[in-house]
Amino acid sequence: MTAATADRAKLLAKRNRLEAWKRRLPLLPALLFTIVVTQVPFVLSLWYSFTEWRINPPSPRTFIGVDNYTGLVSNSFFRDAAFTTIFMTVASVLLSLLLGTGLALLLDRDFFGRGLARTLLITPFLIMPVVAGLVWKTQMFNSSFGVLNWILETLGFDSIEFVSRWPAGSIIVVLVWQWMPFMMLIVLAGLQGQDPSVLEAARVDGASSFSIFGQITLPQLRPYLELGTLLGTIYLIQVFDHVEVITGGGPGSTNIPYFVFQRSIGGGWRFGEASAFSIVVVVASIVIANLGLRVLSNLLEGEAP
Amino acid sequence: MSTERSQIVGQSRRSTIILGLAAWIAALLVFFPIFWMVLNGFKEEIDANSSPKLIFDPTSDRYTEVTTQTEGLLGFQEAFTNSFVIVAISTLLVLIMAIPAAYSLSIRPIAKWRDVLFFFISTKFLPIVAAILPLYIIGTRYGLTNSRIGLVILYTAMNLPLAVWMLRSFFSEVPKELVEAAQIDGAGIRGQITSVILPIVAPGIAATALLCVIFAWNEFFLAVQLNSVDGSTVPIWVSSNVSTRGNFLAKLSAASTLATLPVVIAGWAAQKRMIRGLAMGAIK
Amino acid sequence: MADVTYDGATRIYPGTEIAAVDSLDLDIADGEFLVLVGPSGSGKSTALRMLAGLEFIDGGSVSIGGRDVTLTPPQDRDIAMVFQNYALYPNMTVAANMGFALKQRGIEKEERARRVREAAKVLDLEEYLDRKPKNLSGGQRQRVAMGRAIVREPQVFLMDEPLSNLDAKLRVQTRTELAELQARLGVTTVYVTHDQVEAMTMGHRVAVLRDGKLQQVARPRDLYSTPANRFVAGFIGSPAMNLIDVDPGNGPLQLGTAPITGAPASGTAVGTVGVRPEHLRLGSTGINGRVTVIEELGSQAFVHVAIEHEGRDEVLVVRDEGETDIQRNDNVQVGILGPCHLFGTDGERIDQ
Ligand SMILES: Nc1ncnc2c1ncn2[C@@H]1O[C@H](COP(=O)(O)OP(=O)(O)OP(=O)(O)O)[C@@H](O)[C@H]1O
Ligand SMILES: [Mg+2]
Repeated sequence: MTAATADRAKLLAKRNRLEAWKRRLPLLPALLFTIVVTQVPFVLSLWYSFTEWRINPPSPRTFIGVDNYTGLVSNSFFRDAAFTTIFMTVASVLLSLLLGTGLALLLDRDFFGRGLARTLLITPFLIMPVVAGLVWKTQMFNSSFGVLNWILETLGFDSIEFVSRWPAGSIIVVLVWQWMPFMMLIVLAGLQGQDPSVLEAARVDGASSFSIFGQITLPQLRPYLELGTLLGTIYLIQVFDHVEVITGGGPGSTNIPYFVFQRSIGGGWRFGEASAFSIVVVVASIVIANLGLRVLSNLLEGEAP
Repeated sequence: MSTERSQIVGQSRRSTIILGLAAWIAALLVFFPIFWMVLNGFKEEIDANSSPKLIFDPTSDRYTEVTTQTEGLLGFQEAFTNSFVIVAISTLLVLIMAIPAAYSLSIRPIAKWRDVLFFFISTKFLPIVAAILPLYIIGTRYGLTNSRIGLVILYTAMNLPLAVWMLRSFFSEVPKELVEAAQIDGAGIRGQITSVILPIVAPGIAATALLCVIFAWNEFFLAVQLNSVDGSTVPIWVSSNVSTRGNFLAKLSAASTLATLPVVIAGWAAQKRMIRGLAMGAIK
Repeated sequence: MADVTYDGATRIYPGTEIAAVDSLDLDIADGEFLVLVGPSGSGKSTALRMLAGLEFIDGGSVSIGGRDVTLTPPQDRDIAMVFQNYALYPNMTVAANMGFALKQRGIEKEERARRVREAAKVLDLEEYLDRKPKNLSGGQRQRVAMGRAIVREPQVFLMDEPLSNLDAKLRVQTRTELAELQARLGVTTVYVTHDQVEAMTMGHRVAVLRDGKLQQVARPRDLYSTPANRFVAGFIGSPAMNLIDVDPGNGPLQLGTAPITGAPASGTAVGTVGVRPEHLRLGSTGINGRVTVIEELGSQAFVHVAIEHEGRDEVLVVRDEGETDIQRNDNVQVGILGPCHLFGTDGERIDQ
């Protein structure tokens, strides 16, 4: 009897182990792939960051400890780049969220040709960043052939070299132009997921359009706005293409991604130092990510599949 | 549904017209740069490189110019072929890995599904630029730079977390009982996925695939750092039309139009799905 | 067709300490209609899902037709299940929904169509065979779910509150139809409900669960007339049995001022006295009380009477056939007509 029970317990335990692996198995390819492709480079970066390693002029890789990091603290270019990154990310995320929400609210009502208007509005998101940057730079901002300056001149103002006058601002304009549609799509999904009966009830209770928006629509949209902020931040903090084609890293527009690039394969060829920058960026990103993930865990809160 | 809702919200006819008008003005303003780009692509360089004009003699010569192969330069055909192959294969790989992963995180979840999901998303916070150095070094050593394989791997890695996240959301919208019913009806794991789950989440998969295609097709940084010689993609081809000598605006516009067309058309066709896909699933 | 046996079957959900179903022992005969009933969270669904193979069995065993299926996955158990929300495949037509299981078993297309048609005829679904579930009414969906189960001709039917999404009238009608269908097909059926009327009207036998533990299995009538413990006594019957705690000390057993006959032969201490409303009568003799609520149902009324019992206030619910004209706050006398149930301090029934 006891032997039989023990056998049975073993059998059940084996089944449980098997089940656990059956559940894990489908996950493994994605997980292993992601670990290898994303984590290995960072481990290498970490190692490089403790070395002095220049390619041009070539020098052998030597271990120098934390020198790259101490040098970094006093590097004012790095500080500027960090500031530019924060400024560009915050400004473009907030502006695109704000404008995207506005557009979504407009599109949530029925009007003539709504489908076509939405189609036009989402297009910037689909455009290649390189193309977006080039088109804005050469055909909108440009002081001689740009449409913006043509408008200014027609109105009797002097033309402005937008890109050299406001390098970061110009980049932000293009970023907002591209990401606003994305935010709009997310908010639109949120609006369409609203429960009409709640709105109806509020109407019946005599609430004004404004208070309905503030007290019912906005709270319901909150998770969508958070999602937009999160995804927007993930992508916008890493902006490189726009900087490259619009200003080429001109003053006040070099963000950290671009800075690291400049210092390494973009011409600086100081791999050790650039790696140290990267690691600092990674650490900073982890801090930001933690904040972002907190938002995420709110989104997932209470959800058990 | 929306007419019903606008009635509920109690719009007057006049405000409907005014707000509709506002939406249209916004749409036209937002779309204008693209319209202008397309327009410029049909101009002579001399017309494009002057004060903006709407009236001109349209010509398709710029399209001929940018699509004809010039010796020693990256050709239109080569770039598009590279892009198509790289984007298609990487998106396919993403789906092949992300669909089972999403299943493991939602329908029959592993115990720590939340942690794993966090891990996937957290990799998106790691700046690619910080990885470019080791990637460059590894890529050069193993001959993966200037080849399609390198970019396929990187684009797969780039899109995988997002895809896993989105697909998990869609999968968790599949009622658990449905999968159980299929199980009881005698369907094995393959049968459950193909007959019950996939038909339900198909729109979500389409939306996810589309996002992956958009991000991969448009990616420039990795492409230019790792594949600027061989296996170059469309974004590099576009930027190669910028020259320091002579006028290039019309040519650049034509090239830009061609480069963006495939993704723009796909995006237009799938916009409703994207709306559902981007957020409705993503939040549940 | 087959009999079903739970033998000490236990389920402890991962991450929880307490067993959701605790050492369940239950024998269900071939062709029997057994109803699992109990309050929310009592483990009814879990018990059913263990039989289906949808939940792991962490101890004991379950067998179907004499075959131990404890480690068998659901696909290989030859059972059919009707879910509360029906779980119809939204992407398939009614016919495809009903034929899905046959298809999985590799049954020929013609044979499949024939059997689906046959089942559709039984359930009056023939005209809907080409529709998608979303274009059906709730009642039709319910029938499709039933149809999906019966085409399979399985060994056992499992049903988890299959009627709870129907409106009251349809529920009563479907209840009868379902019981008839089961009798005709003669397939062993395990049916979960929290509705005791369903349980009493449909089940050949009823098993009452509470906190994962089986309280009693019996024919509906026996369950009603001889509840095994205080919990079952209070759970079965509507309105519920009057259950009054008593502490007789050394004196005689009393309800208010009325003596209770048939005190236990043994010296077991009585903890609770139970008496059903129909065994109480308003009259000119009995326990003094005051009417607090009158629930008028037409043919009868349930009168709540506040009485004093062992120095505290208690309420007795009394069935009144409508012969007396009473008002709220009237002073009345409650007489005991029928048998009283006695339960020990541990809640177990004390046989008289
Ligand atoms: N997946 C699960 N994980 C952990 N605990 C669970 C799970 N499913 C059910 N439980 C717990 O097991 C117990 C029994 O649940 P079960 O669903 O069987 O109850 P039930 O009798 O069917 O109730 P209801 O009438 O509400 O459907 C409950 O306490 C419940 O909280
Ligand atoms: Mg239940």
